[in-house]
Amino acid sequence: MPVKYDVIVIGGGHNGLTAAAYLARAGLKTLVLERRHVLGGASVTEEIFPGFKFSVFSYVVSLLRPEIIRDLNLPLHGLTILPLESTLTPLPNGDYLYRGADHYESYRNIARFSPRDADAYEDYGRMMYFMAKAVKYILGIIPPDPASLHPADLNGLLNLARRFLGLEREQFYTLMRLMTMSSADFLQRWFESEPLLGTLSASGVIGTFLGPRSPGSAYVLLHHYMGEIDGVFRSWGFAKGGTGGIASAIASAARSFGAEIRLNSSVSRVLTRNGSATGVVLESGEEFSAKVVVSSLDPQQTFMKLIDPTLLPEEIVEALRLYVYRGSSGKVNLALDAAPKFACWPGQGPHLRGAISISPGVDYIEHAYDEAKYGRFSSRPYIDIVIPSMIDPDMAPPGKHVMSCFVQYAPYELADGDWDQQREAFGDAVINTLSEYIPNLKDILLYRQVLTPLDIERITGLTQGNIFQGELSLSQLFFLRPAPGLAKYRTPVRGYYQCGSAAYPGGGLSGATGRLAALQILRNEFGRRDKT
Amino acid sequence: MNHSPNSKRYDAIVIGAGHNGLAAAAILAKSGLRVLVLERRGSLGGAAGAEEIFPDCQVSMGAQDAGLFLPQLVTELGLERLGLRWVETPALTTVFTSQGKPLTLWRDVHRTAQEIAQFSARDADRYPRFADQIFQSSAVLADLMTVTPPALPELRLGDLAVWLRPALHARRLGKKAFMALLRILPMSVADYLDEWFETPALKAALGSTSVIGQMQGPRAPGTAFLLLYHAIHAAHGETRSSRFVQGGPQALIQALTQSAREHGAEICAGLGVVKILIEDGRAIGVELENGERLFARATLSSLDPRRTLFDLVGAHNLELHVVREVKNIRLRGSLARLNLLLSNLPQFNIQASEFERLSGHVVICPDLDYLERAYDDAKYGRFSHKPFLDIVIPTLCDPSLAPDGNHLMNINVQFTPRWLEWDDLQRRALLDVVLNTLSTHVPELRQQILDIQLLTPLDLEREFSLSEGDIYQGQMGLDQLLFMRPIPGFPRYKMPLGDLYLCGAGAHPGGGLTGAPGYNAARQVLRKFSAQ
Repeated sequence: MPVKYDVIVIGGGHNGLTAAAYLARAGLKTLVLERRHVLGGASVTEEIFPGFKFSVFSYVVSLLRPEIIRDLNLPLHGLTILPLESTLTPLPNGDYLYRGADHYESYRNIARFSPRDADAYEDYGRMMYFMAKAVKYILGIIPPDPASLHPADLNGLLNLARRFLGLEREQFYTLMRLMTMSSADFLQRWFESEPLLGTLSASGVIGTFLGPRSPGSAYVLLHHYMGEIDGVFRSWGFAKGGTGGIASAIASAARSFGAEIRLNSSVSRVLTRNGSATGVVLESGEEFSAKVVVSSLDPQQTFMKLIDPTLLPEEIVEALRLYVYRGSSGKVNLALDAAPKFACWPGQGPHLRGAISISPGVDYIEHAYDEAKYGRFSSRPYIDIVIPSMIDPDMAPPGKHVMSCFVQYAPYELADGDWDQQREAFGDAVINTLSEYIPNLKDILLYRQVLTPLDIERITGLTQGNIFQGELSLSQLFFLRPAPGLAKYRTPVRGYYQCGSAAYPGGGLSGATGRLAALQILRNEFGRRDKT
Repeated sequence: MNHSPNSKRYDAIVIGAGHNGLAAAAILAKSGLRVLVLERRGSLGGAAGAEEIFPDCQVSMGAQDAGLFLPQLVTELGLERLGLRWVETPALTTVFTSQGKPLTLWRDVHRTAQEIAQFSARDADRYPRFADQIFQSSAVLADLMTVTPPALPELRLGDLAVWLRPALHARRLGKKAFMALLRILPMSVADYLDEWFETPALKAALGSTSVIGQMQGPRAPGTAFLLLYHAIHAAHGETRSSRFVQGGPQALIQALTQSAREHGAEICAGLGVVKILIEDGRAIGVELENGERLFARATLSSLDPRRTLFDLVGAHNLELHVVREVKNIRLRGSLARLNLLLSNLPQFNIQASEFERLSGHVVICPDLDYLERAYDDAKYGRFSHKPFLDIVIPTLCDPSLAPDGNHLMNINVQFTPRWLEWDDLQRRALLDVVLNTLSTHVPELRQQILDIQLLTPLDLEREFSLSEGDIYQGQMGLDQLLFMRPIPGFPRYKMPLGDLYLCGAGAHPGGGLTGAPGYNAARQVLRKFSAQ
């Protein structure tokens, strides 16, 4: 007779681990099953080339919810976040825009392009700070169902309406705009200089198949502002030891509460009896039974592969069929023999310890998007670069460096050929683009790892390589995420839950869905109200 | 026609005799108010009016179709008694595939399904259900046409009453359809149609409608809303609100004018207003070009909000935040108009017996990628080198519009940005592109042309006082609708000054030949008067 668990969590990504930690902390017998040999899902650190450690996929941290850090006491489990303090935007003409920790320096830098923008930048920062603060509440609640007449939903809607209407006038309208405008239009209300507009609007398109001029991209702008580190909004950092450090800290916390974690355990199916989940079976044939099963995988796997879709009502199957993944980004990780020399700012300096953004203007990114629209990767892509070894020397051998390049756009579906044929050409496009700004790049390049959306899908299991487990578009947010009727972590199969980024509040390395799902499970299935 | 007002004092003065100005005047006059309408141009109707551009032809300057016109106006003003005659053509839209084969959306849903079956049995099977969804969803929007949006977030209980009807209507849809509507509204029309259909020409026939007047391509989120907007009064089974007026849109203008006059309104053409007179923060009347001053208890402007508030009121009379909002209204001219007088019926690639296909809109746009590429050009500040053309041949329903068997062809040329140097060279280049595009479908076209009128967005701006040539007086994106239209804080037709009302397309519900802003604004004025 196999051991019976209270809860089995499928997938050891940051959300799965977070859910497991919360459940174990409440005293439940919890098991996490991870398909790969490493934990973390898309938040992993791997030594791809000897001595060079890459944050293979997710590479910076900011959105990780502070309540999770507190509740799970992650610093005690080894989480150290090193601040990322600046953003450099090199320009094709050899100039650059630099925004650093020194406020006045940033002001002067922006003012070189437009004095008006330098003034507006402060107002903008303040406005977004307050917006993020105001909206934060919404990220911490379980979305009510607007079409339901259930008292709990009506009450939830009322509370939400009260929240919204309680916003200051200016904030209310700004929120409306953030939800509906394009990031370029939204930003043009403040700014006029291209390098600043380009760099700011880029964070509105990350992970989505939208251009900076596409309505809806402004929301992603706000989504990226929600991050806070130690109570400071809009601050970004690296986890020491790479992004995998986050997963291992959460895993360590989960284990300390008694959770069991198994690697190399690929779940092939969720077992059900009479419409209720009873456990899982691995590809090896091994079975585990549990009262509750929770999947941190995306809806395609959670609903179409792990269970028999005929257990679901037809309209939910239909809605999930319409759910949009559409991976739009790739990742290129470089092992370098020496520090890169930027044409605009040669030598080592604080700029190498921050983010570097290849986004000289809105049109540049829009052109990159145009290519992707018609099924090609961008020949001159938007690239977000960090060099973790500059801050955390353990990431590379002495004197050598690792450079992480997030690349957009790389459409999952190509018009011609497939990604296995185009992988190297894509890598070349990235290297060529980078070489325009870093003339010595090709000389110092030792190895490169090119990850297309197809590779992201193959390795992490993220359908179509979408880093958010589905686009963060208005029609896929809140009570519509991932589908009407599925927004509260429950599924139509009793005892079967979902806790991945496809659930509310959506993607990013936040852990919020894992936490909210765990709280919901504790309440629904075990009659416990967690105080946190 | 009067050329000078009979009096100095009125209950209401309406600036601009476009269809919205006339609708407002007629409703006000019908309630017994003394109303004066002032029109700068020599003829009435604004962009919905007609002029004898070609000898013995009344040519509609901007409007083509009157399918969006508010039914309440027709009944309350008895426009049919005044000679308004609708023409419902058998065809709604005809597109030609890239191979030149026609596909017609007929008014009759089964006939359409049969037509589609020649391209795809699957699409033909789905079309009636699609038409159902359009019908149900757009009916909710039709309810919203006459709702005065609440001034959020300062919501009062009374404001909610007006929402009762649309809310009940939405509830009657059922949970599934309601959630579907919420999901569709922010989508891109391309994504929405991809969910339903596979035939490129069918998607083009349906989707092209939603970018008319917009500076957005079919992949822009929010364009699915416009598909529904263009179907608000469509009967069950029709997927576009399309009906023509016997005698052209100008006949509708005549009926409105006659109604207003019968109820005692004075309408003066050739009298431009240069200033709105202000006393103690209230609008007290207007000053004319000739220096004459006229006074009214309420002043209504059918000009766009920027013209109204900057040119007529003056920015110095406004609060700073209002100035900023008005400056930031997204006004984007994207449409040019080409009117042709042809010696005979243009020979599209159809059998002579099939000329019924030409009775509705003839659309040059074989697929949505063509449309997206046409937008790509405009996005970077060029006019489309392969433009999307929306053509109506009004002489097919009413041969009396042109003499001796000649035909008129009204062509809306999308995407032509306002911010080009619209000199003779540029105009000729645009004309060439349009005629070349047309000639691929109508090889003999150039030989048939007797006369040409081209209105660039700059011409539209100058002729009809449309800021930036935006025919909607403000783009119809989700960020500029309902309580965000014309600017946040002033959605209830009342402007920042007392006794000043906005009654044009810049106000809710927006653009198109609807008459709804005029109707709603007039009722707001009446409400105010009855309260006094």
